[in-house]
Amino acid sequence: MKILIQAPEIIDIQSPFHQQQKNVLINNGKIAEIGDKNYSADRVIKAEGMKLSIGWFDLGTFIGDPGLEHKEDLESATKTAAAGGFTEIAVLPNTAPSVQSKNEISYITQNNSTRLVQVHALASVTRNNKGEELTEMIDLHEAGAIGFTDGLKTIWHTDIFLKALQYLQKFDGVLIDHPEDYWLNLFGHMHEGINSTRLGLKGMPRIAEEIMVGKNLELLAYAGGKLHFSRISSGKSLDMIKAAKKKLNVSCDITAYQALLDDSVLFDFDTNYKVSPPLREKSDIEALLKGLKDGTIDVICSGHTPHDAESKDLEFDLAEFGMINLQTFGSNLVALSQAVAWDVLLEKVTQAPRRLLNLEIPKIGVDEKANLTLFDPARTWKLDERTNFSKSKNSPWFGKEVTGKAVAVFNNSKQWIDSDIK
Amino acid sequence: MSKLSQKHLLGIKDITREDIELIFETAANFKEVINRPIKKVPSLRDVTIANIFFENSTRTRLSFELAEKRLSADVVNFSASTSSVKKGETLLDTVNNILAMKVDMVVMRHASPGAPHYLAKHIKANIVNAGDGTHEHPTQALLDTFSIREKLGSVSGKKIAIIGDILHSRVALSNIFALQKLGAKIMVCGPPTLLPKFISQLGVEVELDVQKALQWCDVANVLRIQLERQQIKYFPSLREYSLYYGITKKMLDGLKKPIVIMHPGPINRGVELSSDAADSQHSIILDQVENGVAVRMAVLYLLAGTAA
Repeated sequence: MKILIQAPEIIDIQSPFHQQQKNVLINNGKIAEIGDKNYSADRVIKAEGMKLSIGWFDLGTFIGDPGLEHKEDLESATKTAAAGGFTEIAVLPNTAPSVQSKNEISYITQNNSTRLVQVHALASVTRNNKGEELTEMIDLHEAGAIGFTDGLKTIWHTDIFLKALQYLQKFDGVLIDHPEDYWLNLFGHMHEGINSTRLGLKGMPRIAEEIMVGKNLELLAYAGGKLHFSRISSGKSLDMIKAAKKKLNVSCDITAYQALLDDSVLFDFDTNYKVSPPLREKSDIEALLKGLKDGTIDVICSGHTPHDAESKDLEFDLAEFGMINLQTFGSNLVALSQAVAWDVLLEKVTQAPRRLLNLEIPKIGVDEKANLTLFDPARTWKLDERTNFSKSKNSPWFGKEVTGKAVAVFNNSKQWIDSDIK
Repeated sequence: MSKLSQKHLLGIKDITREDIELIFETAANFKEVINRPIKKVPSLRDVTIANIFFENSTRTRLSFELAEKRLSADVVNFSASTSSVKKGETLLDTVNNILAMKVDMVVMRHASPGAPHYLAKHIKANIVNAGDGTHEHPTQALLDTFSIREKLGSVSGKKIAIIGDILHSRVALSNIFALQKLGAKIMVCGPPTLLPKFISQLGVEVELDVQKALQWCDVANVLRIQLERQQIKYFPSLREYSLYYGITKKMLDGLKKPIVIMHPGPINRGVELSSDAADSQHSIILDQVENGVAVRMAVLYLLAGTAA
């Protein structure tokens, strides 16, 4: 089938067509033509005002498959990802069992060569993500694990952390760390500050993150290796990472919402805003925006963390951390584009995560495989029962109008096109 | 009749100064009523109120129940420890089951901060927060403030020291909000580990020395050490606490100035407050208890008025 994407703006800093408005013809999974002609096609998508980039990549998506399928399974996760504009996702190992043997890897990555949304496996660093005993990381790497992390759990054990950094060097593997001091965040439910004081909730102080970033950078300097910090939330963490980048192989990501929302939204105890790391203050948002602009933050991720109503529609201190955000991620980007240029934002969602994980980076050029995302930054829509593809509904934007929506994705000779698109 | 600005009493944070004054005015009338030989008025006849207590309570529950009965409301009581509820039924299910029996108002105590706010999003009945974890205890703050006003004539400009475990205290937080709305000056005092790090941003003074706090204040509201609400250790021992943060009659007499001592109860005698201090002429602890009934009558009565 031939599909013509008519007149989008191409955003791909590696492409000669970067920031040009062109017609793009896709034929049997390949980019057949890029130009100004009106190529004949079976389907035409009028895309003026839209942005065409290589397929978006989500680093660190939480799904519940295997074991917690009631939150999100592979099928719902891939549908949700496609509708959010992602052609590839790298999923966290916080499953049950955790991703710690070849079985889980092959289960997660099955059909990756043919499915629209490829699912990459991040494997556990320690057994059951407990931080105590290393997994068989070489074997997991051979089986297809693209990175190593305990996901939403911190690797608290200093010596295990050090050993992991050393061990991964055999195959240039990346250690992805969620920096969080266990004791300082214990029983914490939100950012520690004036708002946690007002709400009577135990806080999670910035230093709980910062001391772990500082400590782990020292370990990286000592051991060597490749370290990526996930879901950074504090400006001081970024300062340390920025300084370390001059001599160490270190990178980091943030969730898109972390640079948009502060903890004042928690005034009425809406558990959809209960996330980890917690939403912090306006000054932290400014520091994150600065980090996005100056390149300290390499990757932006959705932070998609689905939870069933039984884990989320509860008293605040009993509710789990996290929000779903694959489908609303694009609207987060629109909000971020007020402060950060589109090509900078999209590089952090496309090239940067693939580069970090040593994956092939798709290109926008004639005869290249079509791994593409078409995004409409002006489209207003609602995430609701009709449009939501996730099994969970824990989004602060559920039922509210947002601006910006992925309208089509292409990968592996397959495509998803928003049914509302004519 | 004037009305409250809110349908629920979830916290002092959410109500206005005018609301507080209206509650006080009404409470003063009810206080006169409960000192009559016939203490009962028909104001809430045909109104059913459920007292749902997920945390242990003796005096707050008794105080609410008396207030409800003196207003001629029909009263049902439900108590369960949070842990037993946690194993089975959710909060929402429990409350909906009770409401299905046609209950008009819910008075709830719960260990989770924000539990009544959560409930308010899901149910129609008026809700009175009778204490939500370490967040707020609005009726306690109202009765404390009412008692200060009664004793000193006004609250505005008065210096109130809140002494003890501020970190785990819903009484402290609600008192700060209420007293600030009425123009009082506030100081918090306690061991540094029991003071929230950002408390001064609420506009209160912070003092680590009890003697200095007593010297500064017109009223000392001494809080109970909430051992049951401390999930980890915040100070080495009760012995050391009572030695360095406990208040004795000798200290009060040595101030050579009038001072009012309050305590929300139950007192750990000999820990935060010595027996002779609790029972001294400085203490208005039993007035607080008496005023509690009148203030709660006022709150219930006024909230019922918002339902129409």
